[in-house]
Amino acid sequence: MTSELLLRILLDFVLAFVVGFCWGILFGSPKRILWMAGLLGALGHSLRFVLLESGVVLITATMISAVTIGILGIYCAHKVHHPPVVFTMPAFITMIPGLYAYRTMLGCIKLTDPAIVQKTPDIMVQIGHNLMLTLSLLAILAIGISIAALLFRTKSVKEINFGKKQKVKKVD
Amino acid sequence: MTENIPSSTNEYVHATEFADLALDIATTMLASGAHCGRITRNLDRLAKRWELNVQMQLTFIGVAMTVTSEHDPYHTVTRYRSTPPHSVHLELLTEFSSLTWKAADGDLNFEQVKKETERIKKIKHYSYWSVALAVGFSCACLCVLAGGGLIDAIVACMGAFIGSIVRVFIMHHKFNPMISFVIASFVTTMVSGANMVFHWGPAPEAALATAVLYLVPGVPLINSLIDLIEGHLSSAWNRALFGASILLCIAVGMTLSISLLGLNNF
Repeated sequence: MTSELLLRILLDFVLAFVVGFCWGILFGSPKRILWMAGLLGALGHSLRFVLLESGVVLITATMISAVTIGILGIYCAHKVHHPPVVFTMPAFITMIPGLYAYRTMLGCIKLTDPAIVQKTPDIMVQIGHNLMLTLSLLAILAIGISIAALLFRTKSVKEINFGKKQKVKKVD
Repeated sequence: MTENIPSSTNEYVHATEFADLALDIATTMLASGAHCGRITRNLDRLAKRWELNVQMQLTFIGVAMTVTSEHDPYHTVTRYRSTPPHSVHLELLTEFSSLTWKAADGDLNFEQVKKETERIKKIKHYSYWSVALAVGFSCACLCVLAGGGLIDAIVACMGAFIGSIVRVFIMHHKFNPMISFVIASFVTTMVSGANMVFHWGPAPEAALATAVLYLVPGVPLINSLIDLIEGHLSSAWNRALFGASILLCIAVGMTLSISLLGLNNF
């Protein structure tokens, strides 16, 4: 039981790593930063998976993992000397609500057919539910990416050093 | 104008020259997927080096910019330039960021910054084949994450791979980018919809839904929300409308192919 759950978490981690890595290529991230995009995406997605398994609501789970990746991204930016957005953007895409967007769109297509509307009268409710889920997940991902600007109120990531005293490399 | 030479930097840059360089950087960054806050920060950093002051209006298709000398308020220039075609390329953001930091620290002079900008603008994206392969793999993985089986993943991978190549082919022939989104989503849905019609995999809906995810304009949509949070409203709405019209094009392509395959199956 426990080992099966661990295996599923591992599978989630590996799949999300590939997704983050490949989206890095699609977005033209620098070559030596692709693994970082994959790693952050995998961490975020498997954290969300664990939270969902332990009964947290989808939106809350996404919010927690998005904020975690956002803060980890600021930390990692100092290590690899790149602006955080270069690798957090592909990392966040692993959590983009594609399935809900697709269901919203398919629902709208179905709405044009009177026969289907008569067969399933709650179609409007389903469309509204999927639409709101898509929009709120998208907004949460954006907040996760801009967490530096929102939380630390600084002009640049260069000035954020989590209490360390040494001279920090330029990243943002 | 020799009396305007600032003593700290020993280099005098005319506002017109600086405005040309800054517009080059701003339009390139805007086209490669930077949000407005990042562009403003980078250019402010650059302008401080030569004791100039930059004010900008960033929209989606162009940048209006006023450069003023901090010593002489009559020494002012205002320019506008439209952006090159948009395509996300995050490596440019890294390069421009480190370039502006180097310039701000005084390691580079104006001519060197100009040369570097030309070099950065020429940096190539990954090759079409590697992008298509990456897109295929990531859509397959997203399909498994959404609950699809192995066969569904393979179908999603094929659909995304073929669609991506078709899109590049259309883009090469200089059609409107929106057309390429319609046709790419049509082709991808046709390939992954075959799974739905012939019942190959256990969860065909997952393959259908995730195969088109490579077209979703994630960067414009997320940038739009970041701009909205930071108060760049005109740019935020422009990006949101651009993203929404791409989504509409994807929906048109999918609707076409779903209607051809038979809507009642879905």
